[in-house]
Amino acid sequence: MYLYFLWTMSGISKIKSFFTLLELPQLRIKKPFWLKQPSAMTMFSIILFSYFLVTGGIIYDVIVEPPSVGSTTDEHGHSRPVAFMPYRVNGQYIMEGLASSFLFSMGGLGFIVLDNIHSTTTPRLNRLLITAVGFICVLVSFFTTWVFMRMKLPGYLQS
Amino acid sequence: MVQAGSKKSAISKINSKTGISSLIIFVVLLLAWIAGFSSRLFAVIRFESIIHEFDPWFNYRATAYMVKNGFYNFLNWFDERAWYPLGRIVGGTVYPGLMLTSGSIHYILHLLHINVHIRDICVFLAPVFSGLTAISTYFLTKELWSAGAGLFAACFIAIVPGYISRSVAGSYDNEGIAIFALQFTYFLWIKSVKTGSVFWAVAASLSYFYMVSAWGGYVFIINLIPLHVFVLLLMGRFSNRLFTSYTTFYILGLILSMQIPFVGFQPIRTSEHMAASGVFALMFAVGFLKYLQTMMSKSEFKSLVIFGGFVSAGIVFSTVVILTYAGYVAPWSGRFYSLWDTGYAKIHIPIIASVSEHQPTTWFSFFFDLHVLIATFPAGLWYTIKNINDERVFVVLYALSAVYFAGVMVRLMLTLTPVVCILSGIAFSGLLELVLREDDNVRSEDSEEEEQSTPNKRLYDKLPKEAKTKSKSGKSVGKASAPQVAGRVPKIKHEPSKESDGIGPNIRSAVTVVILLLLMLFAVHCTWVTSNAYSSPSIVLASYGSDGSRQILDDFREAYFWLSQNTADDARVMSWWDYGYQIAGMANRTTLVDNNTWNNSHIALVGKAMSSNESAAYEIMTALDVDYVLVIFGGVIGYSGDDINKFLWMVRIAEGEHPKDIRESDYFTEQGEFRIDEEGSPTLLNCLMYKLCYYRFGELKLDYRTPAGFDRTRNAVIGNKDFQLTYLEEAYTTEHWLVRVYRVKKPDEFNRPRIPVANRIIKSPSFVSKKSTKRKKGTIKNKPVVVKGKRLSTKQ
Repeated sequence: MYLYFLWTMSGISKIKSFFTLLELPQLRIKKPFWLKQPSAMTMFSIILFSYFLVTGGIIYDVIVEPPSVGSTTDEHGHSRPVAFMPYRVNGQYIMEGLASSFLFSMGGLGFIVLDNIHSTTTPRLNRLLITAVGFICVLVSFFTTWVFMRMKLPGYLQS
Repeated sequence: MVQAGSKKSAISKINSKTGISSLIIFVVLLLAWIAGFSSRLFAVIRFESIIHEFDPWFNYRATAYMVKNGFYNFLNWFDERAWYPLGRIVGGTVYPGLMLTSGSIHYILHLLHINVHIRDICVFLAPVFSGLTAISTYFLTKELWSAGAGLFAACFIAIVPGYISRSVAGSYDNEGIAIFALQFTYFLWIKSVKTGSVFWAVAASLSYFYMVSAWGGYVFIINLIPLHVFVLLLMGRFSNRLFTSYTTFYILGLILSMQIPFVGFQPIRTSEHMAASGVFALMFAVGFLKYLQTMMSKSEFKSLVIFGGFVSAGIVFSTVVILTYAGYVAPWSGRFYSLWDTGYAKIHIPIIASVSEHQPTTWFSFFFDLHVLIATFPAGLWYTIKNINDERVFVVLYALSAVYFAGVMVRLMLTLTPVVCILSGIAFSGLLELVLREDDNVRSEDSEEEEQSTPNKRLYDKLPKEAKTKSKSGKSVGKASAPQVAGRVPKIKHEPSKESDGIGPNIRSAVTVVILLLLMLFAVHCTWVTSNAYSSPSIVLASYGSDGSRQILDDFREAYFWLSQNTADDARVMSWWDYGYQIAGMANRTTLVDNNTWNNSHIALVGKAMSSNESAAYEIMTALDVDYVLVIFGGVIGYSGDDINKFLWMVRIAEGEHPKDIRESDYFTEQGEFRIDEEGSPTLLNCLMYKLCYYRFGELKLDYRTPAGFDRTRNAVIGNKDFQLTYLEEAYTTEHWLVRVYRVKKPDEFNRPRIPVANRIIKSPSFVSKKSTKRKKGTIKNKPVVVKGKRLSTKQ
């Protein structure tokens, strides 16, 4: 702390006379190499990843500790795995949460990809591919989530 | 002459263009308001104009009290009917903004001789405010991005289920007006950061004052804005504008927020608010360093400033820690702490963990409340991060913190929803701007984007809206048809030059169609969710038969009305805390615990009474002067939110305070199951709650397929069918057995020693009737008999 004070003061030429008494230590404080403002896209990837985790209900998984996949017994007495916890609105298995949050993020990425079709530098074929990928991402994620909803809540959008 | 004429027409063209765009903005916002208002009316239309759920009943009762007795009496109101025998100082323990808002609306309307009952104002307050929320969201988004994005965001927030869940008609709660205050404060803050003017900063702090008076969630603002400032400092974006706006906002906001009695000295005494003051000090430190910079000559100042910032942040932080340690600053409250350490509430504060809206969020809730917006949210975030500036840093931080909080608690989906709407508005606007842009770059982007994003709104919103927009825009086209045509003409000229560069028309139309489809499905989803999930008053239940006929179960009001009519005015009613506000609001009787949950040990005492056996419970009940006990029992109609399903929380809360008497493990079977049938643990089968719920239920045969005493909620035959109550007697059971009220007997009613029949002295009737089969004429008892020759005795 004290050294820092000196270092701060050293810049002020008006108080230079102060240092006739003290010998100024030759300090070179450099920012560590990893400490720099992260680029926008790094920030975005971090945010998107955390978004993926949170929308998947990772906090729920940590607190409630549900099994990763549920199981049920069918009429023959065999136990079958169940991916979705039906009828329970505020309950989930770990895998179903991750699967659906993957779809959410995929839809988001689809929208972002669609935004890129405008850049004029990409060749025509690539642009077409990008558009197709964007469309597929958005539509697949949307309709799969729809199916998930129907599994979770039979009667969704009916009645 | 010709030149002058063209100039004139150019000016009028510009005027008419701004005129049209502002007309469109006005119409869209108005329609968003109407659509939002009308989609919140499901409950009123299906049932009636009634206050919903639990907390709104208290707010309503407090508002009615304030309207009746005046504001100052309200502030000094000591409610002796709650938390018996402690009472509650209502004026000092509420956020009065809600009551003041509806009270002043009531006052103004009555000044105008529009005699509206205060209940109707309370019922319709939240839907009306949703329109204001939409408008403030529009302004906020406009500041952040563009007017077109703002219109999208306004339309989204008008109908998004995440916000409707807290603002349907009848849901008279703090959140209904607080989200408006939140958005408006953020708008003013952004505005003040952009302009650096004291005026906007003062406006922001005034709006913040309203927010503080309305909702405890103001803590979110007072932490998010300092966070914004702090991050801006880290990014090296310090400016005098920022300095002015933050210092003004902080000081004024601090002083104003301390004027609310419930908040009091908290802003300078508790840890939740310390970040704001720390950033305030940091701001001055950075400002000072910046000043030094002007006097220094070296080139390392930038790093110096950042380093100095870190050091002063360290000083401030350690000061706060020391102050907290020394006891000057209160540590974080449990509710706040549970946001960070997510397991905290589960272990330490069962009363917070017991509330279903404090549960962590699953993926389902995210999709259910936000639908397609959940996918466009990252896209909007991408747009903002790509083109970052001072105010967009704010929305990124808002988004991040809100996502995290929404993940921790279902209830905080509410704070996530506005930012999701903003960012989705940005995403849709960005995408449509890209897709629908004509190839010429001559035209200004703003007006074009508005023109092109509004037709989509027509499509995905409701029918009346569509018709209205069409007619209005038709009018406006009629008015300004000539300039529009003039505006279109040059387009054609420019088109061929750039056609090879742009996006093909096929892709364009495909993207547009997909977006329209998504928006339409979003509107359908919102309406469906609102109608099916969020429009139940939960006081009146409705069940639908297989033929679509509707049956109204009005048991709650039946029981509360019975209480208000058939019990003494000062009767004390014991129930679980969920129903405290309703009993106070509808039955107007004294309750022991209610939804305020400020006194954990009192609640634990009630929980202990409910979970111990009858005689032990009787001791507690006499100690607490209980006259009636009220339980909610859903076994007859299959209502799952009843007291037996909540019972484990009562046990847990009781165990937290009385670990010697109540143990949660006693209420489970050996396999660790919670069962109410014959295999259930004997402690459970003999506890007071079980007995009160299932008293005489063993005799009831619901239908021919199930045996007697079959509980439809838990799908089991109850284990303890045949029992009598010693210390209580059944006072009232509603039609569908949903609410059962018991009277606690006084000690002399059951405490009489039993006398064998032989020893009983039976008073023989002293009067023997003289009537016989022959003498049918009756006599009147003690009738003076007149005997001839005798004088009438003077006594008679």
